[in-house]
Amino acid sequence: PLPPLPRPHPAKGIHKCRKMGQDIRNTVGNVPMEWYQDYPHIGYNLDGKKIFKPIRNKDELDEFLDKMENPDYWRTVHDKMTASDIRLTDEQVDLVHRLQKGQFGDVNFNEYEPSVDFFTNEVMIHPVTNRPQDKRSFIPSLIEKEKVSKLVHAIKMGWIKPRKPKETTPQYYDLWAKEDPNAILGRHKMHVPAPKMRLPGHEESYNPPPEYLLTEEERLVWEQQDAEDRKLPFLPQKHSCLRAVPAFSRFIHERFERCLDLYLCPRQRKMRVNVNPEDLIPKLPKPKDLQPFPTTMSLVYRGHTSLVRCISASPTGQWLVSGSDDFTVRFWEVNTGRCMKTLEVGGAVKSVAWNPNPAVCLVAVCFEHTVLLLNPSLGDRLVVSSTDQLITAYEPPEEDKEQAVTWALSEGLEHNKGHRLTLTHPKAVKQVVWHGKGDYLSSVMPDNSSNLQVLIHQVSKRRTQNPFRKNKGLVQCVSFHPLRPYFFVATQRYVRVYNLIKQELTKKLMTNCKWISSMAIHPGGDNLICGSYDCRLAWFDLDLSTKPYKMLRHHKKALRGVAYHRNYPLFASGADDGSVIVCHGMVYNDLLQNPLIVPVKVLKGHQITHDLGVLDVTFHPTQPWVFSSGADTTIRLFT
Amino acid sequence: MSQLQTRFFTDNKKYSVDDVPFSIPAASEVQELSNVINKLLEAKNGSHSQIEFDFLVRGQFLRTSLSNHMEAEGISTEDVVEIEYVERFTAPQPEECMMHDDWISSVEADSEWILTGSYDKTARIWSLEGKAVMTVAGHTDVVKDVAWVRRDGLTSLLLTASLDQTILLWEWNSERNKLKARHCCRGHAGSVDTIATDPTLATEEEEEVEEPPSRPRKKQKTEQLGLTRTPLMTLSGHNEAVSSVLWLDSEEICSASWDHTIRLWDAETGSVKTTLTGSKVFNHISYSPLCRRLASGSTDRHVRLWDPRSKDGSLVLLSLTSHSGWVTAVKWAPSHEHQLVSGSLDNLVKLWDTRSCKTPLYDVSAHEDKVLCVDWTDSRLMLSGGADNKLYTYRYTACETDAGA
Repeated sequence: PLPPLPRPHPAKGIHKCRKMGQDIRNTVGNVPMEWYQDYPHIGYNLDGKKIFKPIRNKDELDEFLDKMENPDYWRTVHDKMTASDIRLTDEQVDLVHRLQKGQFGDVNFNEYEPSVDFFTNEVMIHPVTNRPQDKRSFIPSLIEKEKVSKLVHAIKMGWIKPRKPKETTPQYYDLWAKEDPNAILGRHKMHVPAPKMRLPGHEESYNPPPEYLLTEEERLVWEQQDAEDRKLPFLPQKHSCLRAVPAFSRFIHERFERCLDLYLCPRQRKMRVNVNPEDLIPKLPKPKDLQPFPTTMSLVYRGHTSLVRCISASPTGQWLVSGSDDFTVRFWEVNTGRCMKTLEVGGAVKSVAWNPNPAVCLVAVCFEHTVLLLNPSLGDRLVVSSTDQLITAYEPPEEDKEQAVTWALSEGLEHNKGHRLTLTHPKAVKQVVWHGKGDYLSSVMPDNSSNLQVLIHQVSKRRTQNPFRKNKGLVQCVSFHPLRPYFFVATQRYVRVYNLIKQELTKKLMTNCKWISSMAIHPGGDNLICGSYDCRLAWFDLDLSTKPYKMLRHHKKALRGVAYHRNYPLFASGADDGSVIVCHGMVYNDLLQNPLIVPVKVLKGHQITHDLGVLDVTFHPTQPWVFSSGADTTIRLFT
Repeated sequence: MSQLQTRFFTDNKKYSVDDVPFSIPAASEVQELSNVINKLLEAKNGSHSQIEFDFLVRGQFLRTSLSNHMEAEGISTEDVVEIEYVERFTAPQPEECMMHDDWISSVEADSEWILTGSYDKTARIWSLEGKAVMTVAGHTDVVKDVAWVRRDGLTSLLLTASLDQTILLWEWNSERNKLKARHCCRGHAGSVDTIATDPTLATEEEEEVEEPPSRPRKKQKTEQLGLTRTPLMTLSGHNEAVSSVLWLDSEEICSASWDHTIRLWDAETGSVKTTLTGSKVFNHISYSPLCRRLASGSTDRHVRLWDPRSKDGSLVLLSLTSHSGWVTAVKWAPSHEHQLVSGSLDNLVKLWDTRSCKTPLYDVSAHEDKVLCVDWTDSRLMLSGGADNKLYTYRYTACETDAGA
């Protein structure tokens, strides 16, 4: 198609061209200038000559410099038709500004000139038009007549009925029409009647029976009580006759209280969630399904004359050793309760421990500053003699190292009594405990002021070492891990687990107890129980957390001893309330399953003497029997 | 008051009454029934003297009123009730009290002598009248068990087992009252708690089993006591201490242990034949060849009866429950198939009839401390010893005909 006819360009082009004195108007018209992109010219002028594109060699940099340097850059526009830059004049800029503001282009145009009406509202002597009126404006309309006659006909025929008069009475509807009359509605269910006033009784009488009158003490008590605590809000008074009754002084007060009662009466019943307390208790198996466990007291081992602090059973389960405050150690036959041997030692026995190795017959006893290793000569003669050989086979090392304790071999009379080795400690010893293999032995000397609190002795080499360099608090008890080279140290509030090979702290267990009294390690080695003087027993799952897995508060008084059974899933705790509580504590091999702890039996029997009940508990190594020693000088066996 | 139709019968010809039904008040008790029988016998035989009877309804002793008993046993009161009556077992009369120096661990009596083992490391021989005849001293530790082996006229062989891991065989001449240690048996690696001799052979064949399964075979030096003997056979299989052994007959040995089992062993091969498993530690067992039952005393309160021949190893036939402590000793009557005696840590000796398992026939509360051993001889004597250092003997009068029943 032909390009449209060239038309005169908008005003600014004309102005510009005139000013330039040279008409370079392009005649190609309103066509996209891209059509001339590849040509050297850009169009044709009025004379039909080609308008050549001006040589433009401005690049971006020149453009930028131009933008920076040229003060008229802002008013320079590019004309696509001629491909030339045009600098706008002041008038043109002014025009652009005015158009941008929405004003008229012409400066002189006044858009607020007063308007002149074409017609006036006044009737003039000359009408605007002089046209005569039509005929139809004089004669009635036929169309109207037709319509009216149709309506009349319809009314006659009864097709159109007159409108009913509007009802003036208000309209109502039944809000509850759809309600089931038999349903119990919420507002009926929740109906709370206003509280009734109490009917007056005898005490309100003007002449009450004498038993209703308050005595002097009762009156004093009544006066001292708070108004809310009083049983009666007034004092019953006796008057000789009704005439003597004065005006009721509390009348306004009483009416006011009645109003308060009505006003503050709850209008709605409070919904309380009724939780059955049974549902909150976790489902535990019945104790009778968890047999066997000790249930009755079977034997009483009598003989001590003072409180029995500590007991320990032999690894075969035939013998029991006990240490007492009467300065003796006694050996008992378990199944008859017979005291087989009594040994006098030079102090109140604080702790006894039978060597857990069945091939060694040694008992460690501690009293005052001494740990004594005894050979009780009970059980197999061969074991007894091999134990003696083990002790005498010791050869002193060439260089003598300074040791914390002195090892002394007993001879003569003491040897005949059963004493084998005496370890004299620098401080009072409170506890001795054997390692599972029976060669190592640890002793505890509680002392808050130094790091010499725990010592580990090796019997075969007669060596002693202090495993700790620092003092971490008063040590209560220690224990060896049954399988791995770990060492448990219980201070007042924490149990620290040390790796003896790496010589580092592995774990620190927070017991949440005020003062730990005793500790026992599960034979599997992954669980631990701690008894404390504030009546708690904490069960730790070492794999789970450093916080107690379970806290048991079954005892009424301070716990003194805790023990695990070696084979059966049982543990026991003895306390100052004279009872031993046996719990089923099943540890599963499955790591996902938490230990099951069920208290199964409270064993009573010990009498409380000097506020002390049970002082130590220990299990029989093979049977589900528990021994307990008490302050009443007896040891008891529960089976 | 309702009446019951009853028919009385007895095996004892001496006391038999006519086989006719009687109408008896339902609330009548043993004493009234006994009076009825006595009346009947008096009517039959003028010279009859009053005798106390006990009554059995379907093999169970009557202990309450007849109607209560029948209700408890679920017996119909419509039919004629068959009531068996036997002469009442009279209460054992305490006869002698023999004081020891220490606890008595074991007792065995035969028709002439009583042998006791004591915690003072000796065994003693007593006459039946309670006279100390001989003290057997030789052990270095507590004597735990004693046994008669054989008697040839005036010479007897006896065994003592001790905590010092030895068993000593002694020869005792009762006429010259001389004692000679014949042998010392070694082999145990723990205290020897129990011994038993073969009753049929009555030779020097003794069998003992005790604690750890690994026992040293080393022969030790013969001491001055006599020739050392080593075990002919070791029966190992128990996991824990063996508390009691006995011979069932010449081929079978029975042992009870702390590992909750009773095992029957073949004496020839030494292999386990049967294992009876209980739930508690066994303290003592006894076997009656008359009724072929084992009685066991264990660390609960019950005396249990077992059938050693049954294939089903866990069958408990009956449990006799009345003790309140561990049952430490049981012994069947040698001449009565239903009676046994048991001693317990609750200081009581109880005489039982298996036909009355709820209540014992008699409680003997002579001891002031734990009862550790009981025995029962053919010569109408029951014995019990305990931790109060006293050995009590009781005499009872058994009715001969009843014993054969």
